[in-house]
Amino acid sequence: MFEPFHEIINNVSATILKHEKELGRPVIGVMPAYFPLELIYAAGGYPVQLWGNNLPLEKSDAYLQSYCCSVARSVLELELSGIAKMVKAYAFTSLCDTLINLREIYRRLFTKPTVALSIPITQTQAARQAYLKTVLKSVTGGLEAVTGRQITPASLAEAATLCGTTRSMQRKLYRIRRHKPGLIKNHDFYSVVKAGFFLPAGVYNRMLETLLHELDTLSQPQGRRPQVFILGMVFDPLESYKIFDELKIDIVDDDLANGWRTVSKETLRVENLVEGITQYLFNPAPCCCIYNPDSDRHPYLLKKVTQSGADGILFWYIKFCEPDAFDRPQLMDHFKEAGIPAAVIDMELSMSNFEAIKTRINAFCEILES
Amino acid sequence: MTFLASHKKMKELMTNYYFEAKTTQEKPIAWVTSGAPVEFLYAMDVLPIYPENYAAMCAAGHQSLELLEAAEAAGFSQDLCAYARTDFGVDITQGGPASGLPPPHFLLCSTNICKTVIKWYEVVARKYDVPLFIVDTPFLHDGLSKELKDYTISQFKDLERFLSEFLNRPFDHKRFVDVLALSREASVYWRQILYLCRTIPAPINSLDSFIHLGPIVTLRGTRECVDYYRSLYEEVAERARQKIGSIPEENYRVLWDNLPVWFKMSRLGTFFEEKKCTLVVTTYANSWGGLSDFQEDQTGDIYQAIAASYLNVYINLGFEERIQYLARLVDDFSLTGFIMHSNRSCKPYSIGMYRLQEEVSKLTGKPGVVIEADQNDPRAYSDAQVETRLEAFIESMAPV
Repeated sequence: MFEPFHEIINNVSATILKHEKELGRPVIGVMPAYFPLELIYAAGGYPVQLWGNNLPLEKSDAYLQSYCCSVARSVLELELSGIAKMVKAYAFTSLCDTLINLREIYRRLFTKPTVALSIPITQTQAARQAYLKTVLKSVTGGLEAVTGRQITPASLAEAATLCGTTRSMQRKLYRIRRHKPGLIKNHDFYSVVKAGFFLPAGVYNRMLETLLHELDTLSQPQGRRPQVFILGMVFDPLESYKIFDELKIDIVDDDLANGWRTVSKETLRVENLVEGITQYLFNPAPCCCIYNPDSDRHPYLLKKVTQSGADGILFWYIKFCEPDAFDRPQLMDHFKEAGIPAAVIDMELSMSNFEAIKTRINAFCEILES
Repeated sequence: MTFLASHKKMKELMTNYYFEAKTTQEKPIAWVTSGAPVEFLYAMDVLPIYPENYAAMCAAGHQSLELLEAAEAAGFSQDLCAYARTDFGVDITQGGPASGLPPPHFLLCSTNICKTVIKWYEVVARKYDVPLFIVDTPFLHDGLSKELKDYTISQFKDLERFLSEFLNRPFDHKRFVDVLALSREASVYWRQILYLCRTIPAPINSLDSFIHLGPIVTLRGTRECVDYYRSLYEEVAERARQKIGSIPEENYRVLWDNLPVWFKMSRLGTFFEEKKCTLVVTTYANSWGGLSDFQEDQTGDIYQAIAASYLNVYINLGFEERIQYLARLVDDFSLTGFIMHSNRSCKPYSIGMYRLQEEVSKLTGKPGVVIEADQNDPRAYSDAQVETRLEAFIESMAPV
């Protein structure tokens, strides 16, 4: 059932090259996070999401310090090592200081075009709308220059439906996981989500549809195992989920930038693109990287964790991610006050030895079980 | 450090500032970031407090380590900016030279120095349950544009409304214009002081400018600030006229990019003096001199100029502009090389530095070196490693 998804993530380059050829669309590398893929599809591009990888960091060290997060370092490694040669352009957002400067590094090192969606975080509504309008003009113009195709209302509507369908089906996958813990192995679950980073949405949607049909017919396994909620920016390294499977722990939900925070986004409203993108960026799940005082993460997360039925929370921390790290102490206190156990697992994407992580997860589970 | 008579005045000024901060009963207190448009606050008699400045003082006084450890014990990761961690530690222990900071009534944060400050101030806002006003100044990937200025101006207008509502009185536009004039006058003096270092030998060095930038950061927009920098200017100008150098013998003249290593000021001062190398200019101290670069347009619209000034901060610029600026400084100040501080605590300043070093060296023909350190965390600094790199760098330079 999950094998086709594993196939994809075990053969990322071949997958992208195959679909690039079939689609005849330029591949656009999408940096973390929240760049609306709809804009790329509408412009006739093929978006591929780059959330980091476990390549040994050999070349990127010449450009990025060791105190940069391994997401940025490993993504740069892709381009420097030639693995990302099929990528024709890059799409950035202004998510954090590292990514803002990373775009500048790309502009100095490579000739591939880059577009940047600068996310306005002011609470001055009129200013935000006016500025976003100019940002979108630059982004869509940049994408059109790469693809050689115009974004039209029809292409936007089609792309919105395509990507909206993906997220809607992913939400169903999340619901199944919540309602039938243990039915989907943790490693399988995130493999399914990850495969979507590299596949064209149409292809991915068909695979998801088949999977969801099959899952619908299956019942929840007997017995209750420890259930946890994971919270952080990215769910990688994928290998780590085998530990949860091995220890018989069920992840029942998450709040990850490349997990639920993206999956939860409704279909992009394209009739008023500025308003639609604003809604897309700021809703529904608050993110540590996007200032939004109208949506407080503390009550939001407490409610979400409670609803998930999780016994405890693991902060899934990729080293050197400041936005994530700043929120953590107060959030941990908040959960503690609510009587929910929490622990931190910190890691780098490039790590190959997971023994220390396994020990920590195991110890946390023993606390939960006691 | 160069002996300057003005140093005593600056200490008095800063002591009075912190004394007022700790004792005032009348003035509302706002915690603000170093790149925030503080003129709006002074216009409304709000006392701005700069946690960044206080964190620097803690490190310069060798008190940061215990504060960092206090913050880390409370769960704040060592990966976070050491200024933020130092101040979280201050909040927990009430430590540092002024025994802590007065609690804020509200917070003002501008993103022109980094996005980290948003997160830092969110933590503070939650802790003290006070409003946080953010002036979002997007990164200038491709230079200033009308849209960027308009975006920023809209937020200034909103800031005025916020202050008016929060303080329950109308925004004082007349006073604002006066404060702005004082702010600009101080910035002009500050820049002139820094540009006196084009003289060979340089009358002061960058370690002096790091120390003397306290008032331009904290008191910008006040009469005392203008008076102080006028007097400092006169003193430094006199040294320049008499060709009195900041160190006895100046063979090398270099730029320092990024924040200082506050806890190593004295040791680095001795090191550079022994090597006959003057730190002549720094992008960091220059930033406050640049705040007067933009004048109002022909219509007399002051907001355009303020927006341009607060957007056009060095670390808010794209790399092409940074490279051109660094190359200009190399020329203007007759530099023999440049030092780039890869500062673990300041990602927007540091990420991309390796590439910048290559390009600036290529463009100017002058050697550059990157040293790995931290502005406030002594645990991220090695004397031996830094000094070995600096020695090799100094040997690679041709003297003036």
